[in-house]
Amino acid sequence: MRKYTFIGPILLILIWAVVAQLQFIDKFFLPGPFTTIKKLFELVVNGGILGDLSSTLGRVLLSFVIALIIGLPLGLFLGRSEKIYRSVEFIIDFFRSTPATALFPLFLLVFGITDISKIAVAAFASMLIIIFNTAYGVMNAKKSRVLAAQIMGATKVQIFRWILFWESLPQTFIGLRSAVSLSLVIIVVTEMFIGTTSGIGRKIIDSQITYEIPTMYATILLAGVVGYLLNLLFLVVEKRFLHWSGK
Amino acid sequence: MNAVISVQNLKKSFNNTEVFQDFSISVEQGKITAIFGPNGSGKSTLLNILSGIVAKDGGKFDIDNFNHFEFSYIFQNYRESLLPWRTNFENVALPLEIQNKNKQEIRQRVEELQKLFEFKFNWESYPYELSGGQQQILAFMRALVTKPKVLFIDEPFSALDYENNLRLRGHLQKYFLTFKPTILMITHNIEEAVHLAEKIVVFSQRPTKVLEVIDNPLPYPRTLQSLKIEQFHQVKDRVLSVFQKVTNL
Repeated sequence: MRKYTFIGPILLILIWAVVAQLQFIDKFFLPGPFTTIKKLFELVVNGGILGDLSSTLGRVLLSFVIALIIGLPLGLFLGRSEKIYRSVEFIIDFFRSTPATALFPLFLLVFGITDISKIAVAAFASMLIIIFNTAYGVMNAKKSRVLAAQIMGATKVQIFRWILFWESLPQTFIGLRSAVSLSLVIIVVTEMFIGTTSGIGRKIIDSQITYEIPTMYATILLAGVVGYLLNLLFLVVEKRFLHWSGK
Repeated sequence: MNAVISVQNLKKSFNNTEVFQDFSISVEQGKITAIFGPNGSGKSTLLNILSGIVAKDGGKFDIDNFNHFEFSYIFQNYRESLLPWRTNFENVALPLEIQNKNKQEIRQRVEELQKLFEFKFNWESYPYELSGGQQQILAFMRALVTKPKVLFIDEPFSALDYENNLRLRGHLQKYFLTFKPTILMITHNIEEAVHLAEKIVVFSQRPTKVLEVIDNPLPYPRTLQSLKIEQFHQVKDRVLSVFQKVTNL
């Protein structure tokens, strides 16, 4: 089945090449895939984009780690009691449904035009996703396993450590994967609109303004590759550690 | 008669369906008692009430010196009670870990049990890699590793083919004869009931009553040979006759 995964990227490049070749869109605004890939290669080799890439990845990583450190324990705690979760469900769902971008101005006021406000808004939105998924993972644990442990005389702490925590992991991982994707989206968007000198978002806006169209496409492509690889990384880790999931 | 489990005037209903109205039973110590009865007669419900999973609506019940560490219950859906993130060994070890036993003692107990079962598991693999029958054996070992004084089993052999069914009956007997626990088991299979149990309790339709308790004096260990002798068939016929009356078949 492995070989079929390569069909997707080949198909994408093919369609792109055909559309570019047919010149439905002015060549200036839509360069072909090979021009773009060559440009990206150049930017990577001469280091022109590595600074932006590392700034963005650094912010994503930091916001994700903050979201994880706060969100995971909170989700586990809230999931333990349906009563507690239901009591705060509205707050979580409300902010989860509010577009994170709508909160930028608020975060800017609080944290100023700094990296901190970018990281804070991404961390905030990712954290809610982690809380939500982790709590549901705990709440939807199979009753039969908990009952079995209760009958064996397990304490609440033992049941939590040996059963509920593990039961919640598959759902938690779904949350982590969505959280890291969302983090990337928010960081890139904030880089576009909140003053900064480096970052993938900044690079895209800058090359658009200066009509360096191939650079813009190359950077967009890079952003896509980064997002895809982050997702893949989580899938690989998930497969390795949650080999038992769904069984 | 030394009753270790006693139930008096138990009441329980689900959504206006009365399962137990005025139900009483007592189970003798150190014996295998099989419960045999029509569908919906509350066999599993009784075990669930006795083990504290389901609340009763009224009446009294008591298990002598009840202690979670000396009690085991093998569920009907044993597959869902195994932990897929733990290896086979860690699954069997779970109840001992709960009792805070040290590693050495756990290993020793599991090895002891393995000898009794004459079954070689790949201890480092996971339950989902085992067949349904092997998972059943794993659930059995997990229940027996604590040397329980009281053991509940719901449909113990349902997942097994006949060969492994007979084999596991043999292991259970061996365990029973070594440690003499009180075993209360539900079965839908008359042969199983008569093969293993000293007392066979036949339940009526709802609201459930104990219709008859049939003594089964066949001596242990009961081998395959025991399945062929006249006395076995006499007991089996009695159970069947009572069951026939209950179900109007």
